[in-house]
Amino acid sequence: MLGFITSFLSTPAFIIGFVALVGLIAMRRAASDVIKGTLKTILGFMILQAGSGIIVDSLVPFSQMFEDAFGLEGVIAEDNAIAAAVQAVLSMETSFILVFGFLLNLVFARLTPLKYIFLTGHMMFSMAATIAIVLDQMGVSGWAAVGVGSVIQGVTSVVFPALAQPFVRKVTGNDNVAFGFYGSSLVWATGWIGGKLGNKERTTEDVKISPKLDFLKEMSVLMSIVMVLVYGVAAAFASPELVAELSGEQPAPLMVVLNALTFVVGILILLQGVRMFLGELIPAFKGISEKLVPGAKPALDVPIFYAFAPTATTIGFIMAVVGGLVATVLSTFTTVVVLPSVIGLFFMGAAAGVFGNAMGGRRGAVIAGFLLGFLFQFIVAVAYPLVGLDDYGITGLWFASPDAILVVALMRAVGLLFGV
Amino acid sequence: MKIITTCGMGFGTSLMLLMDIQEIGRKHGVDVQGEALDMSSVKGRDCDAIFGSSEIVKELSDIDVPVIGISNILDKAEIEAKFLDFIKQSDVK
Repeated sequence: MLGFITSFLSTPAFIIGFVALVGLIAMRRAASDVIKGTLKTILGFMILQAGSGIIVDSLVPFSQMFEDAFGLEGVIAEDNAIAAAVQAVLSMETSFILVFGFLLNLVFARLTPLKYIFLTGHMMFSMAATIAIVLDQMGVSGWAAVGVGSVIQGVTSVVFPALAQPFVRKVTGNDNVAFGFYGSSLVWATGWIGGKLGNKERTTEDVKISPKLDFLKEMSVLMSIVMVLVYGVAAAFASPELVAELSGEQPAPLMVVLNALTFVVGILILLQGVRMFLGELIPAFKGISEKLVPGAKPALDVPIFYAFAPTATTIGFIMAVVGGLVATVLSTFTTVVVLPSVIGLFFMGAAAGVFGNAMGGRRGAVIAGFLLGFLFQFIVAVAYPLVGLDDYGITGLWFASPDAILVVALMRAVGLLFGV
Repeated sequence: MKIITTCGMGFGTSLMLLMDIQEIGRKHGVDVQGEALDMSSVKGRDCDAIFGSSEIVKELSDIDVPVIGISNILDKAEIEAKFLDFIKQSDVK
């Protein structure tokens, strides 16, 4: 019996489900809501894992071709895929760091002047997983990792929004909301540089941009195009023998397109899982925080800023893609090639455009977008040796969020002091 | 009534918007059931209306329920005004 309970509770989806169940009961929800919330959390988490399995599998032939073609490793920066893929080994640590990190966020918001509540769920999840991975590699796991990790998670929940707030005020013109996104420091830093080099008076919003580009705003479309190109280039330069071996009975071009699109399908499934499991968690977190820390600012996801300068989002995103491509080319001189990572370029690039425009007009938006795309990917190339993911069976993926990578670097530095 | 909110990913701003609309609904005695979805998934869903930020919803076409764009997703007053307009015009309860 005890054996059954142990294995039940060491299954990742059930750990998360159990946490949801306890939370819902503690909030004195109706029985129907408790059942619904617990099940949707479990299902969402299982969908998330299924998506990550597809992503990891579809990257195997790509990694082989890329390495064969260029003699280098190629990675795509995507946090949630990694977070989901390591759940088989680190689900206990991740889920408790997520929950206790949130509770510590409430404590810090209540007791310190940093009155921010971090409510961007997928970022909380990927940060918790990132912290769990780094601790695991430093030889810390189990409850010790939960203890240390939750404190780190809680601190990041208030510190990064606090750092961003002066710049958020410049964009929104008020102090009601905060920036809850683990890439915010790169967004405001590039926006600030764009501001120094631009002219605030000449806003992006007087520029007319063809609406023909709007179809690229749909993630799945853009990602499909980019991934087919990336897989295609790898296949074109790989040895014909390897491509033939990977294709088996299929014509090679079909294998390339199918694998590239399978990667996108994996991302879409993963996001559906994230949606389902956050749809239960975040409203609960929001309710708790409003009760316990009234008046704290909610720190929200990056698209809240897009409405302040819609044209700037397009400019920032396009320039970020240009900057990202430059970083891809330059990263061939480092240990790893960082491939265009669409999700990061799109969401952070668009925000950098808005911040750059608020501080430095058109030129500010162009410079901020370009710098963001370049730095976002180049930081990955430089930081890549800090954490190896091969032990978890993950190839072709690495961390994306600049703030999370900063936290990883700090943890590694502290680890060096203590000799781990 | 059933409301769908949408954004690029379907869990950040759309989820916040859904919570805001549900809160406004409670204030005015309207029970709002809903879902936050990415823009690729909203077609063919059964709902009474779709809410999203203006620059996102202009990408949606051939939808047979009212599509309501919010120009500033952080402006609760705008969300409330547009939601109440929709309630007035529709007979869903």
